[in-house]
Amino acid sequence: MFLCLFLFSCKKDWLQRESKSLILEEQVWNDPKQITSLLANFYDRLPSDIGLTDLTDPSDGRYSDGRYTQWRNMADYDEGMWSGQSNQDGRNNLTSYATDRWLLWNYSLVRDINLTIENIEKLGTALDAPTKLQFTSELRFLRAFNYFQLVKRMGGVPIITNQLIYDYSGEASSLRHPRNKEAEVYNFIDSELEAIKNTLGNVSTNSNPPAASNSRANKYTALALKSRAMLYAASIAKYNALLTPSLTTAGGEVGIPAAMANGYYQKSLDASLELINSGVFSLSANPANPALGFYEAVTKKSGNKEVIFVKDFLTAKDKRHNFSYDNIARGIREDNLSSSSISPSLNLVEASDFLDGSPGVLKNKLPNNSDYIYYDNPGDIFQNKDGRTGGTILYPGSSFKGSTIEMLAGVMVWNGSTYQVVEGTQLGAVWGGAAYPTGDGKLLTGSSGPHRTIQEVSNTGFYLRKYIDEASLSSTRGVRSDIWWVWFRLGEIYMNATEAAFELGQTSVALTHINKLRERAGFPANSLTTLTLDKIISERWVELAFEDHRLWDLIRLRKAHTTWTGVSSNPASVVSALYPYRIIRPGDAARNGKYVFEKITAPRFRAPRFFQMQNYYTFIPQNIIDNNPLIVRNPLQ
Amino acid sequence: MSGDTALSGVTVAVKGTATTTQTNDAGRYNLSAPGNAVLIFSYVGYAIQEVPVNNRTTVDVKMESSNQQLGDVVVVGYGTQKKATVTGAISTISSSDLLTTPATTTSGALVGKVQGITSRSPDSRPGRGVNIQIRNMGNPLFVIDGVPYTGGSTTTTAFGFAQGSGQDVFNTLGLEDIENITILKDASASIYGLRAANGVVLITTKRGKRESPTIDVSGYYGLQNFTRFPKPATAGEYVRAIVDAEQNAGRNPALLYSPEELAKWQAGTDSAYKSYDYYKMVTRRNVPQRYISASASGGTQRSTYYMRITHLDQDALLKDFSYKRTNLQANINTQLANRLQIGAQIGLRLEKTFNIGVPGLDDYFNPFLSIFSMWPTEAPYANNNPRYINQTHNVNANPATYKSDVTGWIEEVWHGMNINLNAQYDLPFGVVAKGTLSYNYQNEDFDGMEYTYPAYIYSNGVYQDRAPGSTVPYGNQNPWREKHKRNVVNRYAQFQLSYNKILGDHSISAVAAYERSDYDNAYFVVHSVPSNNYVSLMNFSEQDLLTDTWGVEARAGYIGRVNYSYKQKYLLELLGRYDGSYLYAPEQRWGFFSGISAGWRISQEPFFRNITAITDLKLRASYGETGSEAGINAFDYLPGYNYLSGSSILNGTYVIGLRPRGLPITQLSWVMNRTKNIGVDIALFNNKITAQFDVFERKRTGLPAGKYDVLLPSEVGYLLPNENLNEDASRGIEGIVNYNGQVGQLNYSIGVNASFARLRSLNTYKPRFGNSYDEFRVSAVDRWSGVSGTGNDNAFGYHVVGRFQSMEEIDNYPVNIDGQGNRTMLPGDFIYEDANSDGIINALDQRPIGYPRGQNPFLSFGSVMNARYKGFSLSIVLAGASMQSFLRDVELKFPFQNTGNSPHYMFDDRWHRQDPYDPKSAWVAGTYPATRRDNTSHMNFQFNDFWLTNIKYLRLRNIELGYDLPKTLLKRVGTSRVRIYVNATNLFTIDNVSDLEIDPEITSSGGLVYPQQKLLTFGFNVSF
Repeated sequence: MFLCLFLFSCKKDWLQRESKSLILEEQVWNDPKQITSLLANFYDRLPSDIGLTDLTDPSDGRYSDGRYTQWRNMADYDEGMWSGQSNQDGRNNLTSYATDRWLLWNYSLVRDINLTIENIEKLGTALDAPTKLQFTSELRFLRAFNYFQLVKRMGGVPIITNQLIYDYSGEASSLRHPRNKEAEVYNFIDSELEAIKNTLGNVSTNSNPPAASNSRANKYTALALKSRAMLYAASIAKYNALLTPSLTTAGGEVGIPAAMANGYYQKSLDASLELINSGVFSLSANPANPALGFYEAVTKKSGNKEVIFVKDFLTAKDKRHNFSYDNIARGIREDNLSSSSISPSLNLVEASDFLDGSPGVLKNKLPNNSDYIYYDNPGDIFQNKDGRTGGTILYPGSSFKGSTIEMLAGVMVWNGSTYQVVEGTQLGAVWGGAAYPTGDGKLLTGSSGPHRTIQEVSNTGFYLRKYIDEASLSSTRGVRSDIWWVWFRLGEIYMNATEAAFELGQTSVALTHINKLRERAGFPANSLTTLTLDKIISERWVELAFEDHRLWDLIRLRKAHTTWTGVSSNPASVVSALYPYRIIRPGDAARNGKYVFEKITAPRFRAPRFFQMQNYYTFIPQNIIDNNPLIVRNPLQ
Repeated sequence: MSGDTALSGVTVAVKGTATTTQTNDAGRYNLSAPGNAVLIFSYVGYAIQEVPVNNRTTVDVKMESSNQQLGDVVVVGYGTQKKATVTGAISTISSSDLLTTPATTTSGALVGKVQGITSRSPDSRPGRGVNIQIRNMGNPLFVIDGVPYTGGSTTTTAFGFAQGSGQDVFNTLGLEDIENITILKDASASIYGLRAANGVVLITTKRGKRESPTIDVSGYYGLQNFTRFPKPATAGEYVRAIVDAEQNAGRNPALLYSPEELAKWQAGTDSAYKSYDYYKMVTRRNVPQRYISASASGGTQRSTYYMRITHLDQDALLKDFSYKRTNLQANINTQLANRLQIGAQIGLRLEKTFNIGVPGLDDYFNPFLSIFSMWPTEAPYANNNPRYINQTHNVNANPATYKSDVTGWIEEVWHGMNINLNAQYDLPFGVVAKGTLSYNYQNEDFDGMEYTYPAYIYSNGVYQDRAPGSTVPYGNQNPWREKHKRNVVNRYAQFQLSYNKILGDHSISAVAAYERSDYDNAYFVVHSVPSNNYVSLMNFSEQDLLTDTWGVEARAGYIGRVNYSYKQKYLLELLGRYDGSYLYAPEQRWGFFSGISAGWRISQEPFFRNITAITDLKLRASYGETGSEAGINAFDYLPGYNYLSGSSILNGTYVIGLRPRGLPITQLSWVMNRTKNIGVDIALFNNKITAQFDVFERKRTGLPAGKYDVLLPSEVGYLLPNENLNEDASRGIEGIVNYNGQVGQLNYSIGVNASFARLRSLNTYKPRFGNSYDEFRVSAVDRWSGVSGTGNDNAFGYHVVGRFQSMEEIDNYPVNIDGQGNRTMLPGDFIYEDANSDGIINALDQRPIGYPRGQNPFLSFGSVMNARYKGFSLSIVLAGASMQSFLRDVELKFPFQNTGNSPHYMFDDRWHRQDPYDPKSAWVAGTYPATRRDNTSHMNFQFNDFWLTNIKYLRLRNIELGYDLPKTLLKRVGTSRVRIYVNATNLFTIDNVSDLEIDPEITSSGGLVYPQQKLLTFGFNVSF
């Protein structure tokens, strides 16, 4: 009473305070805006292995760091390596992949989706039936997408489609569900997508062909997911059976019968063709500059008819990321703290063919190895390369954002009998001055490296182009980038169609699609006339590098353990680099001032990649098994 | 009694008897005493007077207020108590002891002075306080003039600034405004209930005294230097290290540096081979710190007043960084009517920090980073022309840019205002009613702008501003403009009734109170990308970020305490508090906390009369309960949906995310703390020696954890909320001994104190282990905390038992150290103990090798010495600690960290071959392993006891020599006191990390942090 007289209004209950950011149950279910906000949260939480951002969910206490997506993982396979700050050097020194590396058990998202589906039905009394159906379909798409992420890492998982509500009785065994078979999860994805593909909405039929949303699920997104998921199921069915011994569990939680392969291939092919033939999407191309055309097919937002489903960003609304800041080529960085962390590998560069159809191995020495090949310009060695290489990476002499990427590792000085190599200690260093009194005053080390030891400079001789933003100041902390992350684009669907058709023996269908992609990359029409699975794998890599496919392709085709063997002498297990040098050989006009290239193991790369049989199915952590004893372990666990 | 005001409640006793009474409202008393008796008049705040009756029937006395007597009364929660009858574990620090350290923050002034306080100064930048804890129990509760400040986070923002917590209010008080500080460590803290688990720091500001006006002016001027900071290697050392590293990697070092070049770098005489010292460039010496303060205080019989203005001005050792603070304090008390007193304490603070706007969030970090990031071989200016900043290998770390007109500026201003209003009404029968209202407002204004700037490479006679073929200029192209605004409001109200009565041998006092408080912290950030460096006004078109955050806290409590003493010999205190917190679900919200303590003044017993050596001896014991709020956030008890949780761009439009919340936390409540304390207070030889010793334990039960034996399948998609399940205990012992001596005209006192306190985990909820090693490694059942945990709480590492002396020894060594057959090992590399004798070193060979890192030391000790001879005075404060660990990492561990330089000793004192160009030359031994580059995952760099140091130190915290000018001289110039002094802080430290050139109190493993300063001040006090 004394208090009330003075300063404080007399609250009914002093300790009962109101939150400023909570929304209550009754405010949600009849308000399409709030339901869309729930969707926005769910779209945002879709997991991947690599992406443009880090996706963490600390509220999911099952993982030490709650991490679902990490852009830095791009440095962990054979597409690239780590050239950034030395505290992440371990990525170049992975002696093996951890058995829980790809762990995902994000049933928190499944729960939130199930809760939303059930509450819309139960409490959304003021919503009309079409609205309810549309929302529910979209939620089921998200759930199917997430189950695909689960099954490709863990094998079969329990398919939970309702909220599991604990009654605090101390007894929760009724909530236990065993793992479904791996095939059942793929079948569930298939049947869900079939059930909802026509009720998803998010397609505008005002135009012809209709315009589909590329950021919300619709019929074509469903077809794209189906095309990919069915291809995965098919290849696992086929190639797991060819492993000796194959990876299976008694209950079928892991391993799909080989007999099911063709059915899945057919479903994948059908979905791919339906999508391709719908005319809603088209391959984006720039015949005059295939590299630019390919870069823009992935990254350009306005009028993009190639991307099917993206995770979009918008700088103006502070939905943006640091990917360009973290990975811009060193010599053209705008922010003095930014870095060049992910360096693409020579392995990836050499996976793509030359446009004349010859294999893509770069020609740095004469066939008999007796001497270097001398190039006039550092970029000449890449002439007539598949346009996708230049669209994916930046190499010496590449032009980006109006600048030329100056790359030079050092000079090679002819001493009469052999070359003596001199490498600078500083970027932009000159071979001359007091430090090199015999030098010619010209460039020694490029402003973009490569450099053996300076961190945040490419260690491989290449920089990323894919996903790096061309917008001014997008590599600064102040502005950042809103390049989108591509979940699905037509290029992949072409590759899916190629592979499924090839496996089904429809080689001509396969060739049609793969050749279309190669045409877009600068090849002449019908550049391939025969196909092998290995060719398809390598074309997929070239087409889809850094789009979270390489690892999963090798896993589903059971090629990971034979590619990343942990042996230093196996070039496929080692990240290689290409270092350009300027020749100092006065008196030899054919050589002096020209450029040569050394292929080396990237200097900061330490341990060969090693994928073991137990890595095909990520181990299920003990606490998950403790919590639900019906969960069986994965093979070799 | 006569005079302006009658004092009621003055105790009048007949000396040598039990006869005692108190004055009534009119200040009168009646008492029968023999004509030759002596009457003793005593009253809190006044000097005790002994007056002979001399056969008078009326004895009138005018009470004189007194300084010293206050020392016999200690401030405790919700009142004061006589020191003699206190039963809790309490330490007090007086104003004069506080001021012997010219600290800029209150916490800094506490170091080393009393038992039970531990401290560590991990970051001593201007304005930053010291981490202090009571008995290592965690962040204490701060109570200033009776008002508890609990709100907010004590950690700093990413920019390195405070967030307006109670600790910040405490730290930014004017040091001379503090009358005394009391530390409540045991059940005595229970009266603060739910927040008092980590102990309580009570601060009382100064009041005027009923005496003629006094004007004080004091000030000092000081010069600061770092105690220590690691020095980078010179160009000669650096180049030789690169050559070493190339050789050790099996490459030909001549590819990078020929022997001739190395020789030139080492000689450093050729101007093209100059070595640049970036430590010198980034820091400066003898940086000023200034302080000036003036006060007026005094009082009449009815009113007292105290006013002070203080200004502190501290420049940083980094060029152009500075910190300034002005404090204003006005405390007024007046007797409105006979029984009614009112008072006010009004405080104002204005705090200004100026930083150079260095890119990166915390402006203090990059300059330190520069010291090791810059190569000593590269110049700050292109062609050494100061008009052109050199585009060094990492231009963001080029100190040439650290100027406000080059890179920008950040200004951080805090305004703080505090108003307390008190009213006290003395009811009849010894009951006093008192009300307090407090309003504390703090406002933060952060204003920063970082510019774009060019940089150049001088090449072939041209200053190039960009790489050939590039359109992006060198330098910085990331303009940045940001404002933050934070408003923090603490509100508090209390109503209190107290009662004091002495009935013969029985004395009783009681307090009952109700209080409530709340806290509101609203924070707002606006960011823009300015299009030029000239206009600092923000505009909407360039704005790209706005964040709005808010926090609230609210608490209320009912308080009760009863003290009883019999003949001031048997003492008993009971206290209780019914306390509520906003954090918990309504049914879990309120809790009762109680405490009991008892004392026995043995020295008052008849059988003790003959033991004259012991002046006073008191045994104390206490048991108290307190609570702490842990493992829960505001509104966690509510279901619903979190707005602004994630977002998506859907069809090009931004859509705010909404996320279903997890299960509401309705079962969790506060953590219960039970504190037990046994202590003894001794005074010997007529108070020549006084001492206090305590043993204690604080046991926490109900620490939040999940019940994992309710096997809730992970597939449900949510977690069971935490419940109150786990247990731990802080245990320790502490003591202080003071000696007061006199030799002729030399008066001196020596005090020493020490505390040991360590946390032990007792029980975790139904622990499970895979095997016995697993139990050894991870169990937290009945073992010291901070050993088997993760991160800084992990003390499991490798034990280094030797160093390889030769390649032969490596080749023949039976244990596989690196897991690769020792092929990566070189002479000088660490030989780890194969603890399980399985022939290979792996995680199973790790064992505890130290203490947790980053915590306050488990063992602290200090000493305060004072001496006075005629006008001279000397005071010395020593502070030391042990049982704390420091881990060297990054800059202090990896050669060329961050593609940069390293401390010179790492490159000098290392294993290396005699001739860096001859891979067959002999090995030369050193302290550090052979230099390696880009090999941070090498076995040498694993967590081991070479890199982990268990720190011990003793530092001369302060020494002050003062001189009081003779009174006779002063009278002539109209001053009553003039004192001049010289004071040195951190003059020297004896410790075991001097060879690392780091201050022993830092925690930053790379050493890139603002260490403590060696401060030399010259000051004065003048009173009129």
